[in-house]
Amino acid sequence: MSETPTTLGGRSPVARVLTWVLVAIILAWTVIPLGWMLLSSVKPESAIKTATPTLVFTPTLENYARLFGAGNDITPFAVNSVIATVTATALALALGTIAGYGLAHWRGRGRKHLAFWIISTRMAPIAAVILPLFIIFRHLGLLDSVAGLILAYLSFSLPFAIWLMSAFFADVPRSIEEAALVSGASRWQAFWHVVLPTVKPGLVTTGVLCAVFSWNDYAFASSFAGPASQTLPMAAGRLITQGGVDWGQLTALGVVVTLPMIVAGLAVRRWLVTGLTLGAVTAE
Amino acid sequence: MASDLKVVGTTARQGVRDRSRSRTLLRPPSFEMRMMAPALLVLAALSLLPFLTLIYMSFSEVKLLGGLRFEPVGLENWQRLFTDPDVRASWVVSLIYLALTLGLEMLGGVLVALVLYRITRGRGLVFALVLLPMFLAPIIVGLLGRFMTDYTIGLYAWVLRGLGFESDVLGEGTTAMIAVVAMDAWQWTPLVVLITLAGLTAVPPPLFEAAAVDGAGYWQTLRSVVFPTIKGVLLVALLVRAMDAVRFFDIITITTNGGPADATKIIPIRLYETAFRFREIGYASVIGLVMLLFSIILANVFVGVLGRKGLTK
Repeated sequence: MSETPTTLGGRSPVARVLTWVLVAIILAWTVIPLGWMLLSSVKPESAIKTATPTLVFTPTLENYARLFGAGNDITPFAVNSVIATVTATALALALGTIAGYGLAHWRGRGRKHLAFWIISTRMAPIAAVILPLFIIFRHLGLLDSVAGLILAYLSFSLPFAIWLMSAFFADVPRSIEEAALVSGASRWQAFWHVVLPTVKPGLVTTGVLCAVFSWNDYAFASSFAGPASQTLPMAAGRLITQGGVDWGQLTALGVVVTLPMIVAGLAVRRWLVTGLTLGAVTAE
Repeated sequence: MASDLKVVGTTARQGVRDRSRSRTLLRPPSFEMRMMAPALLVLAALSLLPFLTLIYMSFSEVKLLGGLRFEPVGLENWQRLFTDPDVRASWVVSLIYLALTLGLEMLGGVLVALVLYRITRGRGLVFALVLLPMFLAPIIVGLLGRFMTDYTIGLYAWVLRGLGFESDVLGEGTTAMIAVVAMDAWQWTPLVVLITLAGLTAVPPPLFEAAAVDGAGYWQTLRSVVFPTIKGVLLVALLVRAMDAVRFFDIITITTNGGPADATKIIPIRLYETAFRFREIGYASVIGLVMLLFSIILANVFVGVLGRKGLTK
């Protein structure tokens, strides 16, 4: 962000007060649901099930303890979530980075078609992808396996990684690479030792965004996963039963699922614009 | 951070800059191809294979019980698509949902960005807080929405009762639609804010001073200075949001699952129930292919926008 004070909207006291009133409204709209989730997760059940919202109560970690209690321990769900997310992200990042470099510099005919195929794969509606994958996985015995989930997550993470890394590589001046080539490095050495270190922010951003979208997935997991491969978002979906909802446990789980992603997401805040617009907008 | 912003096209950079000198040095084209090969092979397996399967299924009746079988039915599924009032109704619901969420997110995002742009103190913190909803799993957003609007214990339900609104929000068609749109807007307006702010920081401050010297008011400055500068960025924001809005359906799945009385039954929900509840997988494939066509058109526009140079400087 630029530090120059803007003159858009003037500096009069009225304008300033109005700005802060609006900021307060915006923050309330954004933060209240999150704050309420956090607050409810440390409430005893008696304080949640009230017609008038309770603000005064004795905080308890009971809801979190029950997430790991007997009968509905979420540890296996968490393990599956971590394995599926980390593996899919690592594969997408490794393959996508190398291919992203290729795409950024390849000038062959059909380049446009190739780029378009990659982006449309990333943008394919999840429901339309689930259907054939379900049939294929069923045929291959990949339903209810973490391997199947990894493949499903790769289907959107890989094109995303190729496309985004190619946008980051395209911004690296060719001259530094040429210097390495002139001094006798091979193309691969120049890529590995000279170009790759300059796109570290791109690697981290791409990795974080792939991980967030995989970690947060519910549609694929609820279609493919079974008893042996359930993930944390599925655990959340399953806490909704006909007999009523244990909101204390659910909000605690919500906090557990959300917190690591917030930490990761804010860590790459500077490059979020680039990442989330697939390199279409860059602001630095 | 410096404040130069570019809307760039990866496809648009045709290497004019470096073609002259580097041709002799960097032109074994096979190296780029070799770099792309592994990923493209995996991607082909993950996208073309399902795509062809989907097309094949759309001309079949798919039997799951007693082993997987495809029985060819010709154009039956396709013919049914054009005479199915339910699917048509779902498309209408989808388009309403898209128009409402995108409209709200674009308008809200630009307004919020204009407000945040004026803050100097505490900017980083406010900005970080505003971004938070984007990192939630959509399923958690939906569950949180249910919790907040729960008729007996929900905080927002209680607020609404205080305002004289007595009924169960997710229990009636119109209010359920408003609720799921609000949840989507809560989660994704921050993305539009983020992109718009990136565009705003690219407006050179001297332009504002010039506008002020010319005696232009706030709205006039917006119209003649700010908007022309951020137009391209806004288009990117709209397209990115549109493509993702077509992809996801978690929020509706967990809140209303298309109800009440199909009021929020967007196309993905309809497809899902056709395939997995009614077991009409062949017909669901046709619905899926039409969805795919829709997203391919959007992606095409996106690439076209990227390819046009000089959106902003």
